Amino acid sequence: MKKRVLTVDDSRTIRNMLLVTLNNAGFETIQAEDGVEGLEVLEEANPDVIVTDINMPRLDGFGFIEGVRKNDRYRAIPILVLTTESDAEKKNRARQAGATGWIVKPFDPTKLIDAIERVTA
Amino acid sequence: MASKKTAQKTLSLAPVLDLNEATALHEKLLGLKGSDLVIDASAVERVGTLCVQVLMAGAKTWDEDHLSFTFSKVSDAFEKTTQLIGVDIDHLMAKEI
Amino acid sequence: MDMNEIKEIFFQECEEQLAELESGLLKLNDGDRDPETVNAVFRAVHSIKGGAGAFGLDDLVSFAHVFETTLDCVRSNRLDPGPEVLKVMLKSADVLADLTNAARDGGSVDEARSRQLIKELEALANGEVPQASAAPEPVAKAAPVAVAPVVNDEGFQPVAFSFDDFEADEPALIDMPTYEIVFKPKSDLYAKGNEATLLLRDLSRLGEMSIHCDMDALPALDRLSPESAYFAWKISLKTDKGEDAIRTVFEFAEWDCDLEVTLVAGEAAAPGEELPMQPVPFDLSILDDEPAVSVGVIEEEEQLAAQQEIRDAAVSAAATASNVLQMAQSANRAPAEKSAGAAASAAAQSAAAQQAAASAATPTIRVDLDRVDRLINLVGELVINQAMLSQSVVENDANGTSSINMGLEELQQLTREIQDSVMAIRAQPVKPVFQRMSRIVREIADMTGKSVRLITEGENTEVDKTVIDKLAEPLTHMIRNAVDHGLETPEKRLAAGKSAEGTVRLTAKHRSGRIVIELADDGAGINREKVRQKAIDNDLIAADANLSDEEIDNLIFHAGFSTADKISDISGRGVGMDVVKRSIQALGGRINISSKPGHGSIFTMSLPLTLAVLDGMVVTVANQTLVVPLTAIVETLQPEAAAIHSFGSNQRLISIRNSFCPLVDVGRILNFRASQANPVEGVALLVESEGGGQRALMVDAIQGQRQVVIKSLEANYTHVPGIAAATILGDGRVALILDVDTIVAASRGHSLKPEMSLAAAG
Repeated sequence: MKKRVLTVDDSRTIRNMLLVTLNNAGFETIQAEDGVEGLEVLEEANPDVIVTDINMPRLDGFGFIEGVRKNDRYRAIPILVLTTESDAEKKNRARQAGATGWIVKPFDPTKLIDAIERVTA
Repeated sequence: MASKKTAQKTLSLAPVLDLNEATALHEKLLGLKGSDLVIDASAVERVGTLCVQVLMAGAKTWDEDHLSFTFSKVSDAFEKTTQLIGVDIDHLMAKEI
Repeated sequence: MDMNEIKEIFFQECEEQLAELESGLLKLNDGDRDPETVNAVFRAVHSIKGGAGAFGLDDLVSFAHVFETTLDCVRSNRLDPGPEVLKVMLKSADVLADLTNAARDGGSVDEARSRQLIKELEALANGEVPQASAAPEPVAKAAPVAVAPVVNDEGFQPVAFSFDDFEADEPALIDMPTYEIVFKPKSDLYAKGNEATLLLRDLSRLGEMSIHCDMDALPALDRLSPESAYFAWKISLKTDKGEDAIRTVFEFAEWDCDLEVTLVAGEAAAPGEELPMQPVPFDLSILDDEPAVSVGVIEEEEQLAAQQEIRDAAVSAAATASNVLQMAQSANRAPAEKSAGAAASAAAQSAAAQQAAASAATPTIRVDLDRVDRLINLVGELVINQAMLSQSVVENDANGTSSINMGLEELQQLTREIQDSVMAIRAQPVKPVFQRMSRIVREIADMTGKSVRLITEGENTEVDKTVIDKLAEPLTHMIRNAVDHGLETPEKRLAAGKSAEGTVRLTAKHRSGRIVIELADDGAGINREKVRQKAIDNDLIAADANLSDEEIDNLIFHAGFSTADKISDISGRGVGMDVVKRSIQALGGRINISSKPGHGSIFTMSLPLTLAVLDGMVVTVANQTLVVPLTAIVETLQPEAAAIHSFGSNQRLISIRNSFCPLVDVGRILNFRASQANPVEGVALLVESEGGGQRALMVDAIQGQRQVVIKSLEANYTHVPGIAAATILGDGRVALILDVDTIVAASRGHSLKPEMSLAAAG
C-alpha cells in the first residue's frame, strides 16, 4: 500500500513541486490550500503523514497543527513543517504547536522524502 | 500461585498499535486483570513504543499477580520492533508443546 | 508536469501575488489597518520568495527576503506603515515585479535602484525596535545583478531510496568508532507524532548497534499513564558516520528527549557494565512491510498521469488565473454565487458584494483559451443559424402558427442568453490594468516631482480579455499625459489654492452594453488659447475659425499635436493623443475629452464589451450588402444635389453646415462598379477616421442596424483590403464588414494594397 501524504500550502508553485516530488517517489498525495481546507479534508485524506506550510490565509500552519493534534482520530499523524532555515522562532512555535519535524525550504526532493521516511513507519 | 479457578483469556492485538491505541490497549488489559492471558500479536503491522510500554507494564503486573502473560503468536513486524528497541519478549513467548 | 511547467505556474502565481501585494499596499496607504491586509501583503512576498528559492532565483530571493523582513516588522507592529514607509514599500513592490520579469524573460533590472531600496528597507527594519531575528541576513545584501533565467532540471528525478545501497558500501566495521548513546524520550515526543521505534530504526542503519532498554521507570499497569514516556535506552553504536549523523537522527526529537552521545575510544570501551545489551541485527527490512520507499521507480506512468490530472484540477480549484479563463474571479474577489452561473452578467457585479465574499473560496476552473474561443465561435454559428431559421419560417409560413413563433422567440431569447454567457467567460475585470497604472503614476510623479494620488473605481468591471489586453497601452499613455501635462506642480497648485497633491481618478463602469472608462485629473485643464494657437500654427484650423470649447479641446487628438512647451521625457516618446484615439477606435471605441479651466480634464472612453460581436449599420453598395461599424459613423445624411461640389478630375466634396467634406464612393473604392454613383441617389455616412478627419462615405441604401457576429476573413478566406471581417446575416448571406480607416486612406489616393489594410477583426 502506498503511503498517503497530505500537503497543505497556499502556493500553487509549491503545491505542484510537492505533488511531482511525492508522486515520483511513489506516494499518494492529497493537497489542501490552507489550514481550514487541510482540516476539512483530513478524514477523507486519512494521511500517513502531513506536510504543511506556515504562512497561509484563513488558518496558518500553527493553527492547523493544533487542530490536527486536537483531533482524537488523527492526532498521532506525524506533521512536517515547511520552513526556512533562518527562522528558528517559527520552528519553535511549530514545535510547540505539535509539529513532528520540519523541511527546510527550498526543499530538495531527497530531503523531503528523507524527512517523510524518518517520521513514518 | 495461579488460581486454578481462573480461566485463561485471550487478547488479539489490533494491526496498528500507535499513540491512539495505547489508551485503548491499556483499558483492555486493565479489564483482563486477574486472569491468565494469552496475547495474539499475529495481526500487528505496526507497533509504537507507547503500546510496547503498556504491554510490558502488563507483563510486569501479571507477574506480580502470579498469573501467566504470554504471547501465543507474534507477527514479524512485532517481533522485529521489540527486538530493535531492546525489549526482550522471548521469555513471554508461549512454549511450544 | 515537469519543472518548466511548474515554473510557468510559479510566474503566473507571482503575477497574482504582485497584484495582491500592490493592492494591499495601496489599501494600507489609504489607512487600512486590518491585520489581514498586512498578512496578505506579507504572504504575497513570502510566497514569491518561497517559489523563487525552489528555482534558484537568488536575486529574487534576496530582495524578497529583505522586503519580507521589513513587512514582518509591520506585521508585528514594530513598524508603523506611514506614508513614507509605504512609499518605499510600493517602490519595492515595483522592483520585485521587475526582478520577477527579469527572471522570467531574462533581461536586467535597475541594479542601483534595487540596491537603494534594499538599503531603505533595511533601514526601516532596523529603525524601530531592532530585533535580532528581524535583522536581514548578510546574504540579502548581495547586490542584485542582471538576472538570467535559471533552469533547474536536476533534482527532480524519482527518488529511489533503497537501503540496499547502504549495505553495499558499508565499510568493514572493524576499527570503527563506537558511540554510547543515552536516549530518554519525554512524553511530548510521542504527542508530537515522533516515535522512538523509528528513531532507533534510523540509528540502527548507521552501523552496528547494541541496545538496552531501561524499563525501570515503568509502573504497574494500573498506575501507568498510557501516553507517558517510561522507556529509556542505552545504545552502543559502531559507526564511521560520525556524531553529527547520530544527532541528525534525533534532529526532530532533541527538544523532547534527553540525549547524550559519547564517543567511546576503541572497541574495548564498549559497554562494560552489567547491562544486558541486545545486539540489533542490521536488518533494514525491519518495520518496513511495504515497499513504498522505492516504488517511484516502478510507478506506472498511466496511473501517475491520471493522478496528476486529478490533482491538477484540484490544485487550481481556487486559484486565480491571469491568462487562463476564469469562470469566476479570484477567491478574494468574486461573489460566491458568480461561479455557479458564469452567466451572471458582468454588469451585475457590485463592489459591495465582492467585499462581503472576500474570504470565501470560490471554486474556479482553468480552461484553455482555445476551448473558450471555439465555444464562442460555435455560439456565433448558433446565433446566425437561429436568425436564418427565423427568417425562413417567416418567409415560408407567413401565417405561421403561434406555437412555432413562440418557440422561435424563445429560441432567440435562449440563443442571446447563451451568447452573453459565453462572452462572460472571456470577461475579466479591468483590475490588473488599473493596478499597473498605479505604478505608472508613481514613476511619473517621481520623475516630474509632482505629488499624485491615483484613485481607481470600478476595477472589478468586466470586459473581454482582448479589450483588456489592448487597453493597457493607450491607458498608460493617457495616465502619463494626465500627470505630466494635466497636473500642475505642487507650488502652482498651492498658489491656485489647491492641495499640493494632485488627484487622478480612473473609473470603469458599464453603461448601455459598453464599458466606459473615465480618466479625470484635477489639474489646470486644457489651455484653450494655447491649443488654439498651436492648431493655427500647424494649419489645423483657420486663424479666424469659430470653434466651440469642446471642439478646441478635441483638437488635442489631432496627429502630432502636443501643447507641452518642450517634448518631455515622459509623455513625449513620439506618440500623441492621436495614437491613443486610434487604438481606442481600433477596439471599436470612442474617446472624448471635456475640460474645465482650473479644475481639470476628463477623458471618457467607451468600448465594446466584446470583440466577437459588433453593432453595425447594414448598407447596400452596388447590390452588395456591407456592414459599417456603428462606432465609426458620426451621422448619416441624404445628400442634395446643391451640396455636392466637384473638383479636380473626379474628386467631389459635400458641404455640411458650411464646411466641406470629401465624398468617398465606397462602391468605386472597392471596385464594385466602374463609374461613380450619383450621390443624390444614395446615402452619405459621415465617418471619423484616423487622424480625426471626417469623410462622407457614399452607399446606395441603408438596410438597418443590427448586431452582427464577427467572422475572421483571414481565417476563412484570405485578407481583403478595405474589409475588416465578415459576418453572416439572417438570410444566410455573407456580408463584409468595412474597414473604414483603410477606405478613407484609399480615398486619399492610396491604393488598396493588401499590406496597408489594417485587420480589425480581432
